[in-house]
Amino acid sequence: MNMELELIPVKTRILTPKDDIVDTIEKYAKDMIGPDDVVSVAESVVAITQGRITSPEELAPCFLAKVMCRFVPQKGSLSSVYGMQAAMAVEGKWRMAFAMLAGLLAKLIGRNGVFYELAGEQAALIDDVTGTMPPFDKSIVYGPHDPSGVAEAIKARLGCHGAAVADVNDLKRAAVLGVTKGLEPASLSKILIDNPFGNASQRTPIVIIKNYAKALAKANA
Amino acid sequence: MGIVELVVSIIIVLVAVALVIWLYFIRQGDAEFEFLVDQRTGLKLDSINSNVAVFSCKVPFVNKGMQDGTIMDCYTRHLLPREQYDGVELASWLAVETRPRNDGYFEALIVPKTTGETLDITLKFTAKDNDIKVALADMVDFSLDIVYQVVARREWYIAKQRMIVVADELIQALNAETTRA
Repeated sequence: MNMELELIPVKTRILTPKDDIVDTIEKYAKDMIGPDDVVSVAESVVAITQGRITSPEELAPCFLAKVMCRFVPQKGSLSSVYGMQAAMAVEGKWRMAFAMLAGLLAKLIGRNGVFYELAGEQAALIDDVTGTMPPFDKSIVYGPHDPSGVAEAIKARLGCHGAAVADVNDLKRAAVLGVTKGLEPASLSKILIDNPFGNASQRTPIVIIKNYAKALAKANA
Repeated sequence: MGIVELVVSIIIVLVAVALVIWLYFIRQGDAEFEFLVDQRTGLKLDSINSNVAVFSCKVPFVNKGMQDGTIMDCYTRHLLPREQYDGVELASWLAVETRPRNDGYFEALIVPKTTGETLDITLKFTAKDNDIKVALADMVDFSLDIVYQVVARREWYIAKQRMIVVADELIQALNAETTRA
């Protein structure tokens, strides 16, 4: 189905916690969105518009955060003491500690990924400093709240076939965090795998998947 | 085993675990930045008109530590009080050579361990009495701090590295460029 789909990135100004993501999509893309289209929006931008950001200066790392960040590989957002503290603030420090202990034990028997399975969704979604474009490059950005609710709100306002909130990067990783009823997250992940949001997803936070419903019907026929 | 032996055994185990973790942290290390002002390039005249002269130089920096580190912010702080010299107004700013920008904003930068980058430092002198060449003729040496905020495995901190801007070097750069012109 992917070959028949046209993906249209929509450029906006840099969005901030003062913006509403649904209003923004309506403002920048209303005329481009049809009833067969799916609107996808970058999760970090949704989180920013929800005010789900903090900064190292606002956090006071606890002893556990200082210890636990040392056991996370360097490329991970939780490898910094503030990334770890931010995750603890939303998921609970004892849950994180238990997840890390379980994760370390699981690694001993050759099973990876247990820490992120147990630590809670935000542990995997947090972007540490440098994870987003200026002026949020000095901020820690959490994952969005209620991504499926956001998707439903977009669909209700724009009259499109569906909507999705997605976490996509240039490493061929696409995770759909929330979708409207009836959409398949796995299918959308494949469509978005090449990161149509681009390197700077805050500049093109909206991607319209044109004629998705028609292509789906054709594929199922 | 009596209760006392049990408690002592537990304490010994806990101390041993803490010691192992502490040794692991020591061995792991952290990011450690150094701004190599002694390896900076000489000042170069970038532009000049009747009352403004703009100079620049390059300062390398390295993360010589054992962990990746993030420079969250970095900026210049020139120290040229009017009591020292009142002939010019000075503005200074910096940018990473590979990420040029002219708005004075420093985009947070991850520097992998044992690697580095180079800063472009710019100094803009504006003569208070309209003739920049006359104003710079009486220029004095002054200090310029590179202030940087780091976050890595441990908590964030702000540090600074001082470099000296030598008046003779400014004048030489000015003369070299104007002679060439």
